[in-house]
Amino acid sequence: MIRICGLRKLYLPDKLALDGVDLDIAAGEFVMVIGQSGAGKTTLLRCLNRLVEPTAGEVHLNGSQITGAPPDALRSMRRQMGMIFQQFNLVKRASVLENVLAGRLGHVPGFPSLLAWFPHRDVDLALACLHQVGLEEFAERRADTLSGGEQQRVAIARALAQEPKVILADEPTASLDPRLTESIMGILQRINAERRLTLVVSQHMLETALTYGTRVVGLRQGRVVFDGPPGAITPEVVREIYEGGVR
Amino acid sequence: MSRALRRAGLALVILGVYGWFLAATEVSVPRFLRGVPWMADFIRRMVPPDLSVLGSAVTGALQTFQIAVVGTTVAALLALPLGFLSARNVVPGPVFYPARAILNLFRSVDTMVYALFFVAAVGLGPFPGILAVVTYTAMTLAKLYSEAIEGIDPGPVEAIAATGASRLQVLRFGILPQVLPLFASYILYRLETNIRAATILGFVGAGGIGFYIQTYLRMINYPAASAILLVLVAMIMGVDFASSRLRARLV
Repeated sequence: MIRICGLRKLYLPDKLALDGVDLDIAAGEFVMVIGQSGAGKTTLLRCLNRLVEPTAGEVHLNGSQITGAPPDALRSMRRQMGMIFQQFNLVKRASVLENVLAGRLGHVPGFPSLLAWFPHRDVDLALACLHQVGLEEFAERRADTLSGGEQQRVAIARALAQEPKVILADEPTASLDPRLTESIMGILQRINAERRLTLVVSQHMLETALTYGTRVVGLRQGRVVFDGPPGAITPEVVREIYEGGVR
Repeated sequence: MSRALRRAGLALVILGVYGWFLAATEVSVPRFLRGVPWMADFIRRMVPPDLSVLGSAVTGALQTFQIAVVGTTVAALLALPLGFLSARNVVPGPVFYPARAILNLFRSVDTMVYALFFVAAVGLGPFPGILAVVTYTAMTLAKLYSEAIEGIDPGPVEAIAATGASRLQVLRFGILPQVLPLFASYILYRLETNIRAATILGFVGAGGIGFYIQTYLRMINYPAASAILLVLVAMIMGVDFASSRLRARLV
């Protein structure tokens, strides 16, 4: 599904965030990316849909190369990858439904969409996605009137509305308390199981990562230092990932 | 020691320059005091206002209002593309820098000067007044728009881009909802300012209530002039009140 080869990212002048990452992610996997802050988790996720432009290396989605793709091709590949952010990134003044409809932008006719006109079936799909995260009755509310956990569920609905093959989630629970963390991760787990969506989630909480992931990727200083099932994580591995600090 | 000396020296220089400015502009308290009786006389002759000119006062005020409304709305639309083209986070440097330079160039000339220019170009009346208001207001609003755009939260913009939306869609759904309430507030504020600006436009033949004020003052018909001024004050207060109520609801 996703193939990453030799991915490097250098933030000028001298911060090497990714230092040659190679990963093959199969369809339906629930990949947890763990590591200290500054280990490159966020950069890795953002390089996958090129919100951050990689310095070197390749990313392929279903056999087509994302890295170096021209704008049109990039857009059609981004359509297949929903993204969820730590800060939810909803348009605060817009309604919940409008925020979810934003997930349809890559699919609907361009000019009518600029006038905020969406075909009925896209509105229905957006409502169905809201139903899936249990927020159907909030459709007309302004996004910033919702609590943090609810806003993140709207963001998940927006990603689902893309009908993506992959969902990238960058620290989706870092701004939420433990109870909401469970609720959000539970929704992601259900999506993974029911829709067979491939999930790549960065997670700073080790416990959470081990509970929900089917595969764990440990990053340290921009390199993959562990890649395996949650069961294979030993105290030595944890030390390898989290200790020694940032060089 | 040397620091204190430097400060004292600097203070002396500033005082000296300020004194020169005062002398150069002929500022004189005695002269002002000698003028006070004349001001009192001027005001005394304005009362009571001559209410028989109320008809032309209202006609003039209405035209001033119309100039301000049409000028401001046309400018608000023209400023949209200009605003986006001069926002650092929307366009690359080669577009941004020339756009900003053009804005600053045209903004440095006031509505009044544009009015003189357009009266010469298209003749007397409210139309050159509208052209003047449009030119200056479009530039000012574009500057305010672009600053609002530069101040947005980049998160939602990034999220919309990540859905595979086109550049225009990102603009429409990521940026516009964040800035529209601010834009509306700026437009209302400019409308308030433009009503005042459009008042003076009549002095140079560009339509509106200013024409009557100037005419009656020249004819030394102070009661008529004061009636016009009363209507003007009422209109400005009314618009300011309505506009500030609206603006309070926007942001």
